[in-house]
Amino acid sequence: MKDKKFQFNVSDLKLSVSQVERIIGYKEGEDSGLVTGLIGEVIEEASQICSVKAEYAIFQDVRFEDRGKMIFIGNIDFDIKGIVYQQLKKSESVALFLCTAGPEISRRISNSMNEGDLLKGYVYDIVGSEIVEAAADLMQSNLEGEALNEGNKITNRYSPGYCGWDVVGQHKMFRLLNGEYCGVRLTESALMNPVKSASGIIGIGKNVKFNPYTCEMCNMKGCTYKKFRSG
Amino acid sequence: MNEILERLALCIEFGKINKTSPYPPNMKGQDGADELAKLALNEGVKPDEILENALIPAMEIVGGKYSRKEIYVPQMLMSAKAMNSALAHIKPFFQSGETKRKGKFIIGTVAGDLHDIGKNLVAMMIEGGGWEVIDLGVDAGTDKFLKAINEHPGAVIGLSALLTTTMENMKNTVSAIREKHADLKILVGGAPVTTDYCKKIGADFYSPDPQGAVNYLKQLVS
Repeated sequence: MKDKKFQFNVSDLKLSVSQVERIIGYKEGEDSGLVTGLIGEVIEEASQICSVKAEYAIFQDVRFEDRGKMIFIGNIDFDIKGIVYQQLKKSESVALFLCTAGPEISRRISNSMNEGDLLKGYVYDIVGSEIVEAAADLMQSNLEGEALNEGNKITNRYSPGYCGWDVVGQHKMFRLLNGEYCGVRLTESALMNPVKSASGIIGIGKNVKFNPYTCEMCNMKGCTYKKFRSG
Repeated sequence: MNEILERLALCIEFGKINKTSPYPPNMKGQDGADELAKLALNEGVKPDEILENALIPAMEIVGGKYSRKEIYVPQMLMSAKAMNSALAHIKPFFQSGETKRKGKFIIGTVAGDLHDIGKNLVAMMIEGGGWEVIDLGVDAGTDKFLKAINEHPGAVIGLSALLTTTMENMKNTVSAIREKHADLKILVGGAPVTTDYCKKIGADFYSPDPQGAVNYLKQLVS
């Protein structure tokens, strides 16, 4: 498998007003008049201003250390912790990925907030996040197709900052994937700039499994995410 | 209660910012929070009364509705914007000392975490509760909190974290604050944070929603 780079149009991502309304919390039939028009405007604007890019790089030289729940890619160790380790440990190779909605939407989020247009800033924020996730979905399904052609499967994608994997893991990831194509840089505290970006790892191999994200994976007790998802 | 203040409270509750703002549709063309706050001052209503009898109770209603999931973030943001437009007329009285704030509240999202929506909602609600808010933004490290505490002695502190992995940074910041300022009150919040975690790291209060934080602060000064 080869490394790949992608550029998407926002229209490729099939973002809909109702999808954004659901994320905000509106249920079917509820009056969302306050935001419906604004979401439509922001999606339209995003299609003019967003430079949506994604890339993945394949690494064959991987090994796992069960005791420390670590993965080594080449000579770089990643302290991915138990949850991510369980999902990746049967991988024969891995893909490191990066996606971004580009700098402009991130700029508009902060400009709107600073100018006091809190609602627009909030809608930009949600639309920006959805663009990144949708771009990552497209990139991931391309990777899955490539893997299937070679008789392999892929895992779900996992990112530093989630499932116990410390966000500082991103510094090591950027040593392997420099972020130049996507134009993403890291701050000292390992946050990505532009903020509407995502990075992470996907396992590849004959014996890996694609497991959906579920709160059962996590051992946190009383977390709001868990309460919310269990209804 | 003064009729102008009643109307002002309704504008804040329903997010009517000013006369030209189209939202909510059933208040179209009517004066909003901006005009009514100005009118109240012109009619001789004291800024304190505007705060106590319109802004604070209206934001309490909004906070309660959000806690009960009767409204979503957009309605809350509209109310906050309406409140800010009224507050803009009262701010000169804070500066002159004629009107007193209830206290100072320093808030920030902890180091390594850039999620700010929850933090912003809490900041807005607390400002609407009559407090001066010092917002340190996102990715705020321990040094930033300690510097703000030195600049605003006696302030109540609020820390937010949205990632399970940045809760560790919350713990480190709380313990660094405790080391130097044992008596300060510290509130924590964010989706993965719990009451147990709050106790474990030595913070004073956890609330799952902004109104809980407002109520806690209210108790502190009552």
